[in-house]
Amino acid sequence: MSDDALMAELRETLASDGGLDEVQMRLLDSTDLLSLGMLADEARQRRHGQQTTFVRVAEVAVDASALESLGQAREIRVTGVPASVEAAETAVRAVAGQGVPVTGFALHDLMGLASDHAAEFARLLRVLCDAGLVAVSELAVDRTEDPESAVAVVADAGLAVSRLTIQDARGDARLAWVRTVAGWSFPPRAVQAFAPLPRAEGKTAPESEPATGYDDVRQVALSRLLVDNIDSIQVDWALHGPKLAQVALTFGADDIDAVPAVDADELGPRRTSLEDVRRNIRAASFVPVERDGAFESVTP
Amino acid sequence: MSTSSPAVDALARKVRDGGRLSRSEALTLYAEAPTHLLGRLADEVRAARHPSGVVTYIIDRNVNYTNICVAQCNFCAFYRPVGAADGYVLGFEELFRKIDDTIAVGGEQLLLQGGHNPDLPLEWYEDLFRAVKARYPAFRLHALSPPEVIHLSRLGQVEVSVVIERLMAAGLDSIPGGGAEVLVDRVRRELNCLGKATADEWLDVMRHAHRAGLRTTATMMYGTVERLDERVEHLMRVRDLQDETGGFTAFIAWSFQPSHTERGGTEATGVEYLRTLALARLVLDNVDNLQASWVTQGGKVGQLSLSFGANDMGSVMIEENVVRAAGATFCMDELEIVRNIENAGFTPRRRNMHYELLGDPIAWERDVPRMTALVEARAAGDASVPEELVRYRARTPSGKRQRAPR
Repeated sequence: MSDDALMAELRETLASDGGLDEVQMRLLDSTDLLSLGMLADEARQRRHGQQTTFVRVAEVAVDASALESLGQAREIRVTGVPASVEAAETAVRAVAGQGVPVTGFALHDLMGLASDHAAEFARLLRVLCDAGLVAVSELAVDRTEDPESAVAVVADAGLAVSRLTIQDARGDARLAWVRTVAGWSFPPRAVQAFAPLPRAEGKTAPESEPATGYDDVRQVALSRLLVDNIDSIQVDWALHGPKLAQVALTFGADDIDAVPAVDADELGPRRTSLEDVRRNIRAASFVPVERDGAFESVTP
Repeated sequence: MSTSSPAVDALARKVRDGGRLSRSEALTLYAEAPTHLLGRLADEVRAARHPSGVVTYIIDRNVNYTNICVAQCNFCAFYRPVGAADGYVLGFEELFRKIDDTIAVGGEQLLLQGGHNPDLPLEWYEDLFRAVKARYPAFRLHALSPPEVIHLSRLGQVEVSVVIERLMAAGLDSIPGGGAEVLVDRVRRELNCLGKATADEWLDVMRHAHRAGLRTTATMMYGTVERLDERVEHLMRVRDLQDETGGFTAFIAWSFQPSHTERGGTEATGVEYLRTLALARLVLDNVDNLQASWVTQGGKVGQLSLSFGANDMGSVMIEENVVRAAGATFCMDELEIVRNIENAGFTPRRRNMHYELLGDPIAWERDVPRMTALVEARAAGDASVPEELVRYRARTPSGKRQRAPR
């Protein structure tokens, strides 16, 4: 459906920050892709103007003895499941203090480490905060019990959640998560971004059909239109690849995660990750702004 | 939708009123129109031209009969010079096996292209085509891009029109639009491909082919050294010839794939692809069909092409060697192409090169083996020389040595 009157009505409602009623939500579901993209792009530009942020990330495994190379990282991200509270703390302390914000861990792993005990979980978060962690890097909405409350506990500990993610959802379940996330309320700046494209799609059920390009950009567009409680809609440079990540920018995404911190020198200066991500952002008619792991701009 | 640019708004109205874009208007639209507007206009034009909501595709196989080439285009990672250890020529029997495999999955055509091999005379092609037609009478040969036709003309000292006539007599059904790159001689000179065919020569082969009754496609490989106005110039030249002959069935644009090429550099982005495709739909108001280049853009952006003017998902391909050599390794079998077409809200239909509808997907009728990677021309390390080559005169010393009696 490409109904100009409907689009005008939806545009007006969205621009006035008015909530969409159920009828409008259903209409939005059935609207054609380009119209959705236009609406999402307008919503994104109202929030972020022409800016598209990106972050170069150096990942370090929680059980690694040291960071292999910091490169030009603006975020150090501790990955993997820590074996103990002490292991998590040690991993953070090992990379903190280098002038680069440290993030790490999936929230459900930390909850598991605290045996899902609320007080223990809160204590663990404070320990990690004291060790130098600025944010829990991921809260997988489909792996975490009561994400809304969990975010509040994280915020109380002085940390943020870098991004909400969806691990594995297909078909209508993908959009259902968008609506669920849109219905939550969080403390200010407690959640920095929502990454709406499932990250492990097909890995848990490899026989299932992968999402298409339409599925993905539609998910991004609807996320921008419906999720007004989170500032950034994020795509992943490494996971989704430059082409889809770039196209998603024109459908409402405003932040690119996981740009490599170390360039592959053999490709030459024009093909470094930094130049490539900037080129892609500019080619999508946006202005690239580098940020750090705390979502602070580092572009002069 | 209106924009902040009165010029763009006026051009959008012109397109919607059915007006034809001039060079400068096309350039203004590409440079200034928001991506969604370009897509929306292209989608409207596509829908008007193809109101049934059918999106087509073909089951065929891209076969490169030789990788030996004297053209040495600096954007190509596929060719090998004469005498190279890993240079190859496919034998007739190898090609027959490829045809058998193609027919087994419902295919009905080979897209047959190759290097400018000085040791393969016109007679080799004629014999090959005749042999294919004798063995597979209904099978189609969509073969030899304009630069290959020019190469054969020069090699055999025969007029282009005669080369086309002889190939048609042997079984050529249609000509693919490869080797067009960007039809501007400044660009072709920088790509070191002016020698294989100037812009005029490429168009002239197509003119001869159309006059001889063949249908052809037109292509554009963009994203190298061309300026935007040169990309538009390319579209204008295709449109002009189409006005004259009406012989192009389709237009296919793809981005230069830089890996392992002498030219190197970067690849144009996905958004640039979608914008270029949309512009092509708006400028080429006399070309019915626009293909999505999933093989260079990947399945996801390939599918999004259907919202930016494309009405065809191209070929199942089965085999591909040229863009793979330059780093593109995407694969879509028939089921995947069909799933993407339906997911985008269209109806999938098989077609032939003339865009005649052949029917529903084969995979709906019977089990077809899934394909997770495109096949290569030959297995790695296979340096065999086809027996029949000894029947044809080689021109180069290495070719002569290879064919000398042992």
